[in-house]
Amino acid sequence: MAANIKEVKAKDFNVERSAEEDRELSFKDESCVGCGVCESICPVGAIKLGSVGAIVRNDIDESKIEIDEEKCVLCGMCSVGCPVDALEFTVDGTPISEIETYPKLISSAEIDDDTCIYCKACERACPREAITVARQLPDRSKLVTGEIDIDKETCIDCGICEEMCPADAITIDQKGPEDFDIAVDKDKCVYCLVCKKACPVDAIMAACRTCSYGEYDLDPKDAEVTGKALIDDDACVRCGWCEEVCPVDAAKVEKPFEGELNLDLDKCTTCGACVDVCPCDVLFFPKSSAPGTIDDKLMKDEQFCIYCGACENVCPVEAIDVKRTGIKCTPTKSKSWQKSIDSLKTN
Amino acid sequence: MPKHIASGLKYLAALELVRDGYSQKQISKMLNVNKSTLSHYLNGRNISLGSIEIAEIVREFSPRDFLVFTDAIIEDKEATKTIVKTCLVNKYSVEVKDSCIGCGICVDTCLIDAIVLDDLKAHIDSDICCGCQICAEKCPTNSINILEE
Repeated sequence: MAANIKEVKAKDFNVERSAEEDRELSFKDESCVGCGVCESICPVGAIKLGSVGAIVRNDIDESKIEIDEEKCVLCGMCSVGCPVDALEFTVDGTPISEIETYPKLISSAEIDDDTCIYCKACERACPREAITVARQLPDRSKLVTGEIDIDKETCIDCGICEEMCPADAITIDQKGPEDFDIAVDKDKCVYCLVCKKACPVDAIMAACRTCSYGEYDLDPKDAEVTGKALIDDDACVRCGWCEEVCPVDAAKVEKPFEGELNLDLDKCTTCGACVDVCPCDVLFFPKSSAPGTIDDKLMKDEQFCIYCGACENVCPVEAIDVKRTGIKCTPTKSKSWQKSIDSLKTN
Repeated sequence: MPKHIASGLKYLAALELVRDGYSQKQISKMLNVNKSTLSHYLNGRNISLGSIEIAEIVREFSPRDFLVFTDAIIEDKEATKTIVKTCLVNKYSVEVKDSCIGCGICVDTCLIDAIVLDDLKAHIDSDICCGCQICAEKCPTNSINILEE
């Protein structure tokens, strides 16, 4: 029988067996959050979770999980259980997420481009830097209307207008001691009239048409921001921060696990390992509310928790209890697979 | 020498197949032997008695030894399958338990293609199974039971 072939590339690995079918398991350390679901679901004990706390805190340079290719039977269960798609399993080159007989965790994160206003709130909030908002801003010149002209005969080349223009629209080109050109970039000018007011010799004639006549000749469509919000599926952990911060409800997130996150503050020693390891920015140390006051040792924003269990694994004093009460997964006819998936629930 | 034993095994299989009513044309295909050689076999020519004798001893091997031996000297999967099926007459009842995880190790291990995966579970064709137990030994979840009927 064909033996497994393991290939290690930096912190990533591939395990492969080619016989009747080509089966391949690939691990991407960058996506891995060190939750240990793969270790607990593996039916043959081939996966070992590394020292995730030390790895996340850059104390050691190692892969978050280790696999024993002698033990691995390439069944694919770890890939199905992984909530962050760090383990991909393919059969004859097809990912099992696309093969119907294999179950699949149900999770998603989407940003609706029709609703999105490209404010980048999600991009700033995302703890995994998984969101990129690419946006096209409107032309400034189409949002204002007016007239401006500088009388070069009157102008004394003092440079005050150039220095004061908040839009950097005025340029003076000094060719010689008394020889100069002065120009206004009408794509930049917003007809604020600061130059006109500041000019010591009244050389600038300018008027804002919007102030005098309203916005009748401006097309509101010219003010629209267009773009695209992109989610990097490899980095996204479905925490829901984007959904929470989106001011127009354009982001929708479905998490694969349901559960409870319980902190035992009597046991907590505030070592901070959980805060560092949490992929979802759920756990944090509170700022003292006033001098001399003692607040809670550790706080949580549980709405962003994906119940992966990484914090529980790194806590050295068992102060964290992550309960998984529900696993959202597509059905499978295999009883052993169903049993394994159900085993991810904690009692 | 291995070639002689191979001929002996093919001879034994050919006799069984004739008895089962297959034509020489069919048999030559099934055993990957050209028709004239087959015809010689069936008429008791061009094959030494010693080869037949050894082949008959091989037939008494355990199913596993017979299969591994045949597979090694025949070098043709389809012919091996035919010889195993005709020479080993015991029937086996096969059971794959629900603990099967569908890893496919058994499929890769089976020398005579008796196993397929369906809905993440192995299915063993008891008509093909020769009772060698190799799959049962390699199964990581001990999900295969093969019993002689």
